[in-house]
Amino acid sequence: MTCPPDPSRRAFLSAIPALTAGIATPAQAADAQATQWGMLIDTRRCIACQACTMACAMENATPEGAFRTVVATYAVTTTEGSTGLSVVPRLCNHCEKPPCVEVCPVGATFKQDNGAVLVDGDRCVGCAYCVQACPYDARFVNHDTGKADKCTFCSHRVEAGLLPACVETCVGGARIFGDLNNPDSEIAKRIKSAGDGVRVLKPEANTRPNVFYIGLDPALAGRVDGISAADMMWRPDHHGG
Amino acid sequence: MTTTVEVLGFARGPDWLPWAVQYFFLIGVSCAAFFLSLPGLVWRLPRWRMPSRLALLAALISGLTAPVALMADLHQPGRFINFYLHPNFGSWMAWGSFFIPLYVGSLLLYAWLCLRPTLERLARQGGRLEAAYRLVAYGGHDSPRAIGLAALSASLGACLLLLYTGMETMVVSARVLWNSPLVPLVFLSTAFVGGIGMTLLVAALSGRRDVAPALNRGLALALAATFVLLAAWFGGALSGHSPVAAQAWSALASSRPWGPTGLWFLGTAVFTLWLAVRFPRSLWPTALLALHGAWLLRWIVFIGGQGIPRMGNTWFDYSIGIGPDGLLGIAGSLGLALFLYIVLTGLIPWDERAEA
Ligand code: SF4
Ligand code: SF4
Repeated sequence: MTCPPDPSRRAFLSAIPALTAGIATPAQAADAQATQWGMLIDTRRCIACQACTMACAMENATPEGAFRTVVATYAVTTTEGSTGLSVVPRLCNHCEKPPCVEVCPVGATFKQDNGAVLVDGDRCVGCAYCVQACPYDARFVNHDTGKADKCTFCSHRVEAGLLPACVETCVGGARIFGDLNNPDSEIAKRIKSAGDGVRVLKPEANTRPNVFYIGLDPALAGRVDGISAADMMWRPDHHGG
Repeated sequence: MTTTVEVLGFARGPDWLPWAVQYFFLIGVSCAAFFLSLPGLVWRLPRWRMPSRLALLAALISGLTAPVALMADLHQPGRFINFYLHPNFGSWMAWGSFFIPLYVGSLLLYAWLCLRPTLERLARQGGRLEAAYRLVAYGGHDSPRAIGLAALSASLGACLLLLYTGMETMVVSARVLWNSPLVPLVFLSTAFVGGIGMTLLVAALSGRRDVAPALNRGLALALAATFVLLAAWFGGALSGHSPVAAQAWSALASSRPWGPTGLWFLGTAVFTLWLAVRFPRSLWPTALLALHGAWLLRWIVFIGGQGIPRMGNTWFDYSIGIGPDGLLGIAGSLGLALFLYIVLTGLIPWDERAEA
């Protein structure tokens, strides 16, 4: 039996009986070759609580001050004078055309058949060229390991039939993870129903991200023109924050 | 108009550290100084004999220090062997790992071939190192043909290094300051500024003011070329012809540390040009200013370029530390260069007056 990857924390919980029945197989898709993992982030559901940021840091033991996923938060004031909160949860986009893979001099960064872009920690020389090439600031050199570090879509969890930690912890159910190629998956259905409302970050970079957004303000999809409340901001003490 | 305040942003610090600046600076200096050694040592133009010998010394000092700085910038230096075991030839950096040994190996061979007669003379003078000099001189022949071939190989290596260092930076479209076709050319022109500066410095340390006019003429030309290229970059940025340059310019100009740093670079570069033209016999000031300019340009490009936000609008608040990733790294590579200078000048007389 196959079970499409679970869409969100709530859907995942509803699937627990099936999973505990002993079918928590890794890909959970009919054709493992065809599986293309992706994530959909519904920013309208995000309350900027940073639970995902913390869950990821705990799950992946990232060094202090270095995050694989973050939720950038903006106060946007309209011409009419009303101010609202806008959020951009960010992580590696597991791009279809990942510039980080192209530049890696030793082939340590690679794209799996299932779409996840990963780093072979045994091969990485820590040159940080991939960090430079990523248009999304999704990578950093982990100063504990001396290797490139980034979101893996929690591949160790997914292989065990679990959801990525950020998806599982998301309070608002804003993060939906699943197989983009499976038309019955929650992510594929939601992307389809959102139509033109689905966006990616920096489409002009031509990287073809596999992380999609609903409700994303296009003005926040890349470098943002605005003021940085630098003094109020968290700043890392170390490189790679 | 909508106004946006980033209340929670996540800026990343630079992952190419001051070591990278040192590498790009030193390797450019070495390649340019090597080219300055050709007129006197390969083509044997009499009036270039001395400047070219000093240029060879400058090329050796910086060429041997540069790979050490590069290794130090790797976060896993012990794994450098992976560059040769698993090369990805789609990456300019992978090519670089082959160009560096080609250049450094050829440079050492070229230097040895050029110095053999000197080493033989030193052996004949006797002393404690007589046997070592005799061994290394290996007959002490002056072989113009072999020198020419080694110079050809080193020239190829130097051209490829200058190409790859520029291209490696230029192709990074994610960095607006780097992603310009002018970057390899500016690196090239400022490599000559630095290479001439290093040769002037070696000349200053040897008290050879007579070589200054020729070198200062070259310095003025290299600086003029740099200004033309920078003018082209600014032209593209301000006219909007190059949207990437325009983005980089607006980011840097509005940045508190980098705006003034850029102005300081331009001001000191203009002053260096004026000095080189107005006082062609000046040695120390033009030497130090030229080296400062070539280094500072790379500092702005690499450290400043990594600071420009790619997502959001938060700049990373970079301040140089005193540890190995900061000032100690810079001082360490300069210390190695100084050590090489002392060893090379202690063992070999580079000034023909001393040889006579
Ligand atoms: S987001 Fe960055 S790190 Fe992730 S695949 Fe794309 S280019 Fe690579
Ligand atoms: S840091 Fe590692 S993964 Fe990134 S480019 Fe260098 S070797 Fe490749």
